[in-house]
Amino acid sequence: MKALRRTLDSISIPIIAILLGLAASSIFVALANVSPIETYQKLFCEGFGPRGCQNFGDLLFFQVSNGDGGTSTVFSPLYGEGGSRIALLLEQATPLILTALSAAVAFQAGMFSIGMDGQFVMGAITAAFLGYWVPDQIYLLTGVTDPEAAPVVLNTLMHGIVPLICLSAAMLVGAIYSWIPGYIKVKLNVNELISTIIFNAIAVQLVTYLVNFPMRADFNNIARTRRIDDTAWLIPFNRGIFQDIEWFSGARVGVGLIIALLAAGLVWFYLRRTTAGYEQRMTRGTSLFARFGGIPTGRAVLRAMLISGALSGLAGAIAILGVERRVVDGFAIGGTGFDGVLVAILAKESIIGILLVAPFFAGLNLGATNLQFGDLPRQLGGIIISFIILFSAMEDFIRQRLTALLRWRPWTRRPTATGGESVSV
Amino acid sequence: MAFRSFEGDMTNAVEMQHIRKYFPSSQVLACDDVSLSVESGEVHAIVGENGAGKTTLMSILYGLLTPDEGQILIKDSPVRITHPNDAIRNGIGMVHQHFKLVPSFTIAQNIMLGIEPNHAGFINGNREVEQVRNLAESFGLPVNPDLTVREISVGMQQRVEILKILQRNAQILILDEPTAVLTPQEVREFLTVVRRLAGTGRTILFITHKLAEVKAIADQVTTMRRGRNVGTHFAKDQTIREMANLMVGRVVTLTVDKGPAHPGETVLQAENLLVAGADGIPAVFGASLDVRAGEILGVAGVSGNGQTELVEAIVGMRPVDGGTISYRGQDITHALVRQRREAGLAHIPEDRMTTGLNLTTNLDENVVVTRYQHKPYSQQGIFSFAPVRALAQEIIDKFAVKSARVGETIKTLSGGNLQKIVLGRELKGDPKLIIANQPTRGLDVGSIEFVHKTLIEARDKGAAVLLVSVELDEIMALSDRIAVMFAGKVLAVLDVKEATEEKLGLLMAGSLELHEADSERAHV
Repeated sequence: MKALRRTLDSISIPIIAILLGLAASSIFVALANVSPIETYQKLFCEGFGPRGCQNFGDLLFFQVSNGDGGTSTVFSPLYGEGGSRIALLLEQATPLILTALSAAVAFQAGMFSIGMDGQFVMGAITAAFLGYWVPDQIYLLTGVTDPEAAPVVLNTLMHGIVPLICLSAAMLVGAIYSWIPGYIKVKLNVNELISTIIFNAIAVQLVTYLVNFPMRADFNNIARTRRIDDTAWLIPFNRGIFQDIEWFSGARVGVGLIIALLAAGLVWFYLRRTTAGYEQRMTRGTSLFARFGGIPTGRAVLRAMLISGALSGLAGAIAILGVERRVVDGFAIGGTGFDGVLVAILAKESIIGILLVAPFFAGLNLGATNLQFGDLPRQLGGIIISFIILFSAMEDFIRQRLTALLRWRPWTRRPTATGGESVSV
Repeated sequence: MAFRSFEGDMTNAVEMQHIRKYFPSSQVLACDDVSLSVESGEVHAIVGENGAGKTTLMSILYGLLTPDEGQILIKDSPVRITHPNDAIRNGIGMVHQHFKLVPSFTIAQNIMLGIEPNHAGFINGNREVEQVRNLAESFGLPVNPDLTVREISVGMQQRVEILKILQRNAQILILDEPTAVLTPQEVREFLTVVRRLAGTGRTILFITHKLAEVKAIADQVTTMRRGRNVGTHFAKDQTIREMANLMVGRVVTLTVDKGPAHPGETVLQAENLLVAGADGIPAVFGASLDVRAGEILGVAGVSGNGQTELVEAIVGMRPVDGGTISYRGQDITHALVRQRREAGLAHIPEDRMTTGLNLTTNLDENVVVTRYQHKPYSQQGIFSFAPVRALAQEIIDKFAVKSARVGETIKTLSGGNLQKIVLGRELKGDPKLIIANQPTRGLDVGSIEFVHKTLIEARDKGAAVLLVSVELDEIMALSDRIAVMFAGKVLAVLDVKEATEEKLGLLMAGSLELHEADSERAHV
């Protein structure tokens, strides 16, 4: 009973925040002279609904026509004709989950690091480079001239090893790239917010340069790197084990999602169950308390920054190995890292929260992207998300207003003077 | 002694009726149907344990908080006070526990802040000084208007705060724990000022923990307990013991029972310590002291004379720039906090809210902070929760921490209960050296009694205790020897038998000559 009340209490605020965010955004929709209800219908259909979704109702149940002219009702999230949008949404949520975890780990050490973008692109470029360079070296060493004709054993081995090398290297690069702002914070007290912003800018410029010059593969209009070797590819479900399931057909969601979910579990275990996680959380709560208790705070902060960077680097690598397969010019300014920061904030740094918010966020983005083919700009998604974050930051205010409005909340304790006796209101 | 110099008409200066205030965020009913009436010219003390609702009630009167129910009457007519500006318009002024002065401004500038005499927006500095001088003289509260606030003593700063509200024509003065930061001499001076103000027909409401002051100065005393007014009495009709019992709701012992000390080997020895404060300027300047096993060494001094820095240096939270600290013959001048703690040092910090405890997390994670890396609390870096919970339960039971639950948040607990958690954690495992910095600050009578008993028990078990406090009564009641700190130095170490309040007070002010020079300057 108590757990139920707590759950109700913790989800009521985000839901109210989402509704208020949508209400506030409708001002901008109305300014564009479009009906907000229709717009949101379209937005949610394009983001979360099945193909051909027309209204809010279709989000849950959907009428499809059978071959013989009749119709039947299906449960929309499981409807996969032409590829499910949910799968597409999961594809986009995968790196978001990882960058949000990265932000949560940094925040929970008291570091307001927003360097996820920089670490993400550094991880991505590392994976993109090793994705073709490592196989090249292996072919060279084994004397294989035509990869197509490589022995099956070698090919199988490489399918296992090469992605592992790429992912690990990307994590290492991300970790180092995050460790530097951490180190100059701990040793020189340089504000991590400023240093990570600068490090983001450096990484974006560096990657843009690499893509345009040393790593440019061809004379394609838009500069791009060489495509990674097939053996480095994190094969999506629709090419691999689930290739017969149409639900997965349109999306490149794959092993990356499993890695992200695994990472979420590990991060939760690290933060909640290990002494190292305890050390970094106490350092955040009030660093005086941590120092008072004898916790090596500097070490705890640096460890958090390394883990945070590794997660963002991993996100970048998965985006390349699982989805893009090469870095195209402009990839560096995608903002997946910063979206992760927003997801972490919206989820209040809770791991389960991140797993819920990241797909929601991805869905809104997806819906907004498709919406731009209509009358409204893609930026609408951004506006809605910003409003929702704004309103969820106003949690205390909303809670107070609610209390004042209702004066009666069955899902929390009644007001008491000392925690014991009940007092009539 | 009840003091009454104004016997005018018997209208009530202030009346608060059926005030109720509930804080939804912390789910605390801070004021529950509290009524209070104060006559003009009366000195009215409000006493109560921490969290009894005293400050909430006064904040409501001053417009900092709005009550959920109830009304306020000034001179028998109802008023609406929703902002301090409303309060000021109604002749109510408040001096907060932490002064709100601009350190770089002069006394005159601080007093006239926001109401500067001006001509078309240009401040007339000379008129400002003149007005302040006249104001100060008319109330017999001399100040030198040209001194900047950072140059003057705490007692003088308080006087500036009082003048500031008098300048705004306050007829009702609310003082929140006015004597907490003063030396004994300053307290005496302050009490005279309060009497003089009451003599001019002004009404004084003051919140305090010190019952002796209530006896000395108040006409009436209202006692609050758990958000309720449990009685308003004439101060002269109540003994200190009765007040204390009423506050706590049970019989408390006010005197500390303690046998003679049996000092053993020297446990802590600090020599010629040089420690920089937060601003980089040396705060401890060649201080030396030693504490032996089985004794309590009290460190007396006005706050801000290097005690905090000294403590932080001893426990390892602040680097030592010069001198040595040794613990049982071992040099620990530059040892880590963890090394010191593992060697048997316990620390009861000055600020339990930010240093001693982490209020953002639960009880379990708070009690385990000093030993989480050891078995059985964790193995190979992974927590075992059963022993941690058992430790939390043990502390709750042993120290009778009311309303604390294993695994639950602690931020709603009262100051006394929070301090019990700190004590429970620090005294677990019988430490050999206990550094207690202001262990009873802001606590109520009942909790103070408990802290004192606990420290003496630890001493009797053979621990060396270094007790830092700005409360002279506490130092004199608990200590076996007393070190007096002034300006970063230990001026003298006295045996408790030869220490008198007078002597300590003068040492705390630097020495006899220094003290006189200071008051000389203040009376210019």
